[in-house]
Amino acid sequence: MAETLVQDVEKKGTFEFGKKERKLLTDPLNENNPITVQVLGICSALAVTTLVFPSVVMAIAVVFVCAFANLFTSLLRNAIPKQVRMIVQLVIIASLVTIVELVLKAFNYEVYKQLSVFIGLIITNCIVMGRLEAFAMANKPWQSFLDGVGNGLGYGAILIGVALIREIFGKGTLFAGSPIQMNLIGANNVSTQYWINTAAESGIGTFFSWYSNNNLMVLPAAAMFIIGIMIWWQRSKYPQLVDVS
Amino acid sequence: MELFNIFIKSAFIDNMVLAYFLGMCSYLAVSKTVNTAFGLGLAVIFVLGITMPINWVINEYLLGENGLFQTDLTFLRFILFIAVIASMVQLVEMIIEKVSPALYNSLGIFLPLITVNCAILGGSLFMVSREYNFGESVAFGLGGGFGWFLAIIAIAAIREKIKYSNVPPALRGLGMAFILTGLMGIAFMALMGIDPAVYTGTK
Amino acid sequence: MHSTAYIIKFIVILTGTVALGLTGLREVTKGAADRNEAVFNKKAILKSISSHLQEDMNMKVKDMSDEEVIDIFDSRVKQYVLDMDGNAVDEAAVVAAGHKGGKAENVDMAKEKKKDEADRLLPLFVYEKDGNTFYIISVRGNGLWDEIWGCVALKEDLRTVAGVSFDHKAETPGLGAEIKDNPAFPKTFEGKKIYGDDGTYTSIVVRKGGARDQTFEVDGISGATVTCDGVTEMMQRGVKYYEPYFATIKK
Repeated sequence: MAETLVQDVEKKGTFEFGKKERKLLTDPLNENNPITVQVLGICSALAVTTLVFPSVVMAIAVVFVCAFANLFTSLLRNAIPKQVRMIVQLVIIASLVTIVELVLKAFNYEVYKQLSVFIGLIITNCIVMGRLEAFAMANKPWQSFLDGVGNGLGYGAILIGVALIREIFGKGTLFAGSPIQMNLIGANNVSTQYWINTAAESGIGTFFSWYSNNNLMVLPAAAMFIIGIMIWWQRSKYPQLVDVS
Repeated sequence: MELFNIFIKSAFIDNMVLAYFLGMCSYLAVSKTVNTAFGLGLAVIFVLGITMPINWVINEYLLGENGLFQTDLTFLRFILFIAVIASMVQLVEMIIEKVSPALYNSLGIFLPLITVNCAILGGSLFMVSREYNFGESVAFGLGGGFGWFLAIIAIAAIREKIKYSNVPPALRGLGMAFILTGLMGIAFMALMGIDPAVYTGTK
Repeated sequence: MHSTAYIIKFIVILTGTVALGLTGLREVTKGAADRNEAVFNKKAILKSISSHLQEDMNMKVKDMSDEEVIDIFDSRVKQYVLDMDGNAVDEAAVVAAGHKGGKAENVDMAKEKKKDEADRLLPLFVYEKDGNTFYIISVRGNGLWDEIWGCVALKEDLRTVAGVSFDHKAETPGLGAEIKDNPAFPKTFEGKKIYGDDGTYTSIVVRKGGARDQTFEVDGISGATVTCDGVTEMMQRGVKYYEPYFATIKK
């Protein structure tokens, strides 16, 4: 095990950043997006996108976990026996998440409480394991690290896009739950009345008070529709992605 | 009768896919044809049905206060649950590779990804929070798996038929699958809150 | 292809390193984490009377520093542990039940919830300052994914809710997690009654689609039916546990 590690470090060479590496970062943002093209990480995209703020938190966490899980798996890739590779991959993911959890618990308890809800969602996020299987098991550490960052960002972009639509039309707020929460539209709905009392009292909401929140947007089904439409738009832009079958 | 109720409830009313929207990735990616969907569905039934009782035993006799180590080890719950699931999936993978190489190839990366199928970990966590006993957890596992199986067969059948419709090219395939699932989810909301125990007279 | 011996060796080394590393990290950070947790619990208890504290000190509980929380808690809050018959239990018995420290704030409700109903211990906090008395009780139930819990502050009449604070382990952000994240949801509980005019026990119902009775019901959160039902169940069952104790004070 130790020898393969050393070999890897030697083979890796410098941390070059050429055309290929840049592609690793930008591809997941458009034509190889983890959600809309690779179909990975849908569950968490449905679960956290009712509000923008948790989506941002989740996106940051996934970038971090995905990048480092890719890095460690790639370092160990030649030593991992094929028969037990899934367990090894999950041990790596779960330990990374647990380390973050323990450190936050000791140094910033408030953030830990915010994040503790996501722990299950990060471990079972198929993007992380999907990239380990598809990329890190067959590529060098530095490239794998970049691939992890890129895919995390591509995932985050969709997450935040969906969350913006769902929060504005479903709750009439923006960034609710964060320090900069604001009230945008709608005033005559049960669920926004909570926010109106607490969030900015004179937002743009005053002008759109006729708007009644669309409860459909709060349901997971709305996220399915929005992602479906995003796929439609993306595939009209990149016709090579269209299913021929 | 109690167990039968849990089975029915977890398969139809609390359907993992259409009511809780869990296990979406493989559900959407592997539902192009009924044949592959059938294979994956069976694999999920197997994994859910077998991991649920194992995780029940782990939770009860290993992690609990009165378990083997006499201390509260619940912070290890995630890791242990997922490790059990991963080993079961690894087993399924080896079996499918031997028995049906064609299915193995068509499932591709989504076979190992059953491990991180949130329906399976979610099922184990539901089992803990709903305080099921051993028998109930078996019924819940099988019921949840059967519900997942039915959902993926249903969407695969619809997707096979919709090929003959005039869908805009860019929406064909995945885009349509997302929208269909959303619609099916809304339809399933009609079943929410039904309690089979009322009809079978156990409550 | 690797040999079986290699696989076993690999797994043993990997799990060994990971287990040792994680346990080590846990031990190192445990002190700080425990202190944070204790302050967090005190804060959660004070949050249930945040409206009163806001008036009294012109300060939001969430903006208080750790020292201020400890100071207020130590100078104004008395804590008791009760059994299911409403009698106070002494520290030794609480420690014997597995709660290190023996005070009400040390009582781990998750452990108590696993016991038979008749054997449970109930923490009670009495806030007293300048003639304002609040009885703060703890409740615990199940949400969609995992447990939910909360503190309910009752006014001196033991009938009116002065405030509540909820928390949860793993509810969905934006849906079930609103019980904690949305400060206005606990706010709707303020002023509700847990007993009817004739003294019948009603507790509080979280009603899907909007409260029908303004005295006993609050509006549900759309999209979070299971969590809201969990809150209702917890309020109905959990508050009732304290009835024997209420009877002893009312006398």
